[in-house]
Amino acid sequence: MSQPSATEERLEHLKHYFIDSDQQFEASKMGMWVFLVTEILFFGGLFLAYIVYRAWYPELYLLASEELHTFWGAVNTVVLIGSSLTVAMAIRSAQLNQIKGLIINLWITIGLACVFMVIKYFEYAEKFGKGILPGGYYTYEGIEHEQANIFFSIYYMMTGLHGIHVLVGIGLMLWLVYKAKKKVFHSGYYTPVEITGLYWHLVDIIWIFLFPLLYLID
Amino acid sequence: MATNEENSNTKKLQVRRFKPEENPEKHYLNEEKGIWAWMTTVDHKKIGLLYLGSITFFFFVGGVLALLLRTELLTPAQSFIDADTYNQVFTLHGAIMIFFFLIPSVPAVLGNFVLPLQLGAKDVAFPRLNLASYYIYVIGAAFTLFAIFTGGVDTGWTFYTPYSATTSGNVMAMTFGVFILGFSSILTGLNFIVTIHKMRAPGITWNKLPLNLWGLYATSLIQILATPVLAITLLLLTMERLLQIGIFDPALGGDPVLYQHFFWFYSHPAVYIMIVPGFGIISEVISTFSRKVIFGYWAIALSSLAIAFIGFLVWGHHMFTAGQSSLANMVFSFLTFLVGIPTGIKIFNWLATMYRGSIDMKTPMLYAQVFLFLFTIGGFTGIMLGALSVDIHLHDTYYVVAHFHYVMMGGMVMAFLAGLHYWWPKMFGKMYSEFWAKISCAILFVGFNMTFLPQFVMGAQGMPRRYFNYIDQFQSFHQFSTIGAYVMGVAFVIMAIYLVHSLLKGKRASSNPWGSRALEWQISSPPSLHNFHHVPVIVNGPYDYHKPMSEFQLGIAASHNGHHAEEAVSVSQSEKEQA
Amino acid sequence: MSGHHISSAKFLWGVALALFVLTFITVAVTWIQIPEPWNIVVAIAIAVVKALIVVAFFMNLWWDSKFNVLLFIMSIAFFLLLIGITLLDTLYRVDPVPSF
Repeated sequence: MSQPSATEERLEHLKHYFIDSDQQFEASKMGMWVFLVTEILFFGGLFLAYIVYRAWYPELYLLASEELHTFWGAVNTVVLIGSSLTVAMAIRSAQLNQIKGLIINLWITIGLACVFMVIKYFEYAEKFGKGILPGGYYTYEGIEHEQANIFFSIYYMMTGLHGIHVLVGIGLMLWLVYKAKKKVFHSGYYTPVEITGLYWHLVDIIWIFLFPLLYLID
Repeated sequence: MATNEENSNTKKLQVRRFKPEENPEKHYLNEEKGIWAWMTTVDHKKIGLLYLGSITFFFFVGGVLALLLRTELLTPAQSFIDADTYNQVFTLHGAIMIFFFLIPSVPAVLGNFVLPLQLGAKDVAFPRLNLASYYIYVIGAAFTLFAIFTGGVDTGWTFYTPYSATTSGNVMAMTFGVFILGFSSILTGLNFIVTIHKMRAPGITWNKLPLNLWGLYATSLIQILATPVLAITLLLLTMERLLQIGIFDPALGGDPVLYQHFFWFYSHPAVYIMIVPGFGIISEVISTFSRKVIFGYWAIALSSLAIAFIGFLVWGHHMFTAGQSSLANMVFSFLTFLVGIPTGIKIFNWLATMYRGSIDMKTPMLYAQVFLFLFTIGGFTGIMLGALSVDIHLHDTYYVVAHFHYVMMGGMVMAFLAGLHYWWPKMFGKMYSEFWAKISCAILFVGFNMTFLPQFVMGAQGMPRRYFNYIDQFQSFHQFSTIGAYVMGVAFVIMAIYLVHSLLKGKRASSNPWGSRALEWQISSPPSLHNFHHVPVIVNGPYDYHKPMSEFQLGIAASHNGHHAEEAVSVSQSEKEQA
Repeated sequence: MSGHHISSAKFLWGVALALFVLTFITVAVTWIQIPEPWNIVVAIAIAVVKALIVVAFFMNLWWDSKFNVLLFIMSIAFFLLLIGITLLDTLYRVDPVPSF
């Protein structure tokens, strides 16, 4: 075990193989950044598919994106940016030892994430109703283009995977609330809040690109 | 970075010598007992051994499948398995060997075991993630085995569309297994990168990092950059089968060649995931057994990174005949030749290290020599295949099969065996029979060349790969090749026997049987549960064989905490003990 | 270089406000019908600016260690590599989508 030099620091979070809290915090944060690299390249594959087919069928993208509602896309963008703000505020609260503020901000973030998912649900339901289903189940005849299904395959893959990431984020933040209520976090240790925040911002960034690429083509 | 009291770039540390305890009573293998303690361990050494057990199992399965294939090829017509079964067997041989043996072999087994030891750390940065990566591997393996028993897969290990989207086998379970496996690979890479950055002992600056760690570092970078693209590829393939999303299906307006881009963006770098850590091992072994400073430290270190990077630029050379644009063909062919440069740099530096060294031809060194010989052949034939016009002729022939096996088995497996024999005494505290190890290595070398040299000739004469029958003119080549495969099998049986014998009745190994200067040899064999009882301090490079051993066993004298590896350490040796 | 940068609440609200404004702009420019391909360029450029703002000031990369910045840049670079080299093929095929 390392010898804690500070006198009144809370150190129960410190693992024995780290020398001090700073080393542990920096290691966790770097680990999260490495993970975000993998996330960027994971979504990168879908962006590649999007770009390749957009270069092949530009007119398809123009026609198909009319089926998407710019208004709701924009609302969801604002909702996610708002949740990014509250997650940043949550980290700030933790840094300042304001556990109550941390919990409130986390709850607002969770709420906004749920709003996002509800809007997404109604968007999906509306398309399913029209027969705009993914892949081979596509039956809609309102778009006069042979490859209309391809656009919606990409749309469902991108927004679907993004939606799964939002759900995972909601789960992580519920867990953070639970931990915060058990008084685990304080200004000397808030690593899980920080790295969950990083993850959540990345989910926001991906949506920042999905919005203009899918909704704003016309 | 410096958050402690010292602000200057160097600091004074009080150090003394810590001689390793010989034949310790308590070590990591016996400190915690019972199956449960093993299954829930977060100790990097035990996780390495768990991986070792698993990959040995898969190597055995893959090897048996290979022998089945070779046996079928004894005669031009059907010998004992039909065409469909043959397709499944070669698919499984490829998928198991690549995804379940080669990719985890060096990083997850030897890397896990040795990386924290070489850094002077007590564990990796995220031990629980490390254990999770092992179980993710096991779950992925379970899905693969499930696929084998529920219809099998006959697509080849590349799962090319549109065939993989329509064939009747259980492609979903197989690709899902490999998808899961990718997370295991990513977690290992993530862990290693952070550990190398954040957990180096005082004095281990970037230019004192053992070359094995440079190899693992480059590998980890490839793992985190390439594996996610494999994940999305396999996800899209699964969706293709499940929902017919059509992105890769020409019948629905999609493009099967795009699948190949996706797939090879991962799978070409994946070849470097397999071979680059092997380079690291070879650097360690050659320097240790030549008793000499490694020649061109930075050249070897940076060429690993260069190979990792260039590996991302050449994936299209797998697709020269697939219908991609001729512009892409030319660019990929040109870029492929570039890989030869850093690889050549490495080979020359290893040769220069051996030049006028006092070479001790122990088993690991013998494997390193085999590696140099076989890998060079594999490399040169790779250059042939990279040439556009030559590849049109050789594409999908046994020439490619032989090239791949010279690189993967002649290169990677030999490097793995070199590393296994090199670190075996450290892992188990036991020596193996040097005599039988050399015999087995020699048989393996002969058997390997018997198996794969004829395949170059066959391939150049037009024998296509993946066929279960062939025209009569190739029969003598195929038979020679099959005999060679059995000779290799004999070598592996001998190896299994002497290694098991070593575990049960082997002589106790000393802490440093090879006289190495590297940090992992300056603690007892086997190491204790938390590796180091002191904070090791490094003042010399890991290959400074001209300096006395006592300078390599230093540690912080007081229990002061000085773990900021960013600073160079100037050491005052006032309290140094006399040996 | 410290990993513990604490932003003021005012600053965070300012960042969010900038993002809201940019979201409005990116929607608004579609009303004035910029001709191809400039509409795509504008949309992507605004998205990139927004993403960089999030990365720099919400994710604190602005104050973070150089290696974390490098990791981020590396992921973008390899993503561009994936796209760039693939387009070398798909844009220059004689027969864009091979017909079977």
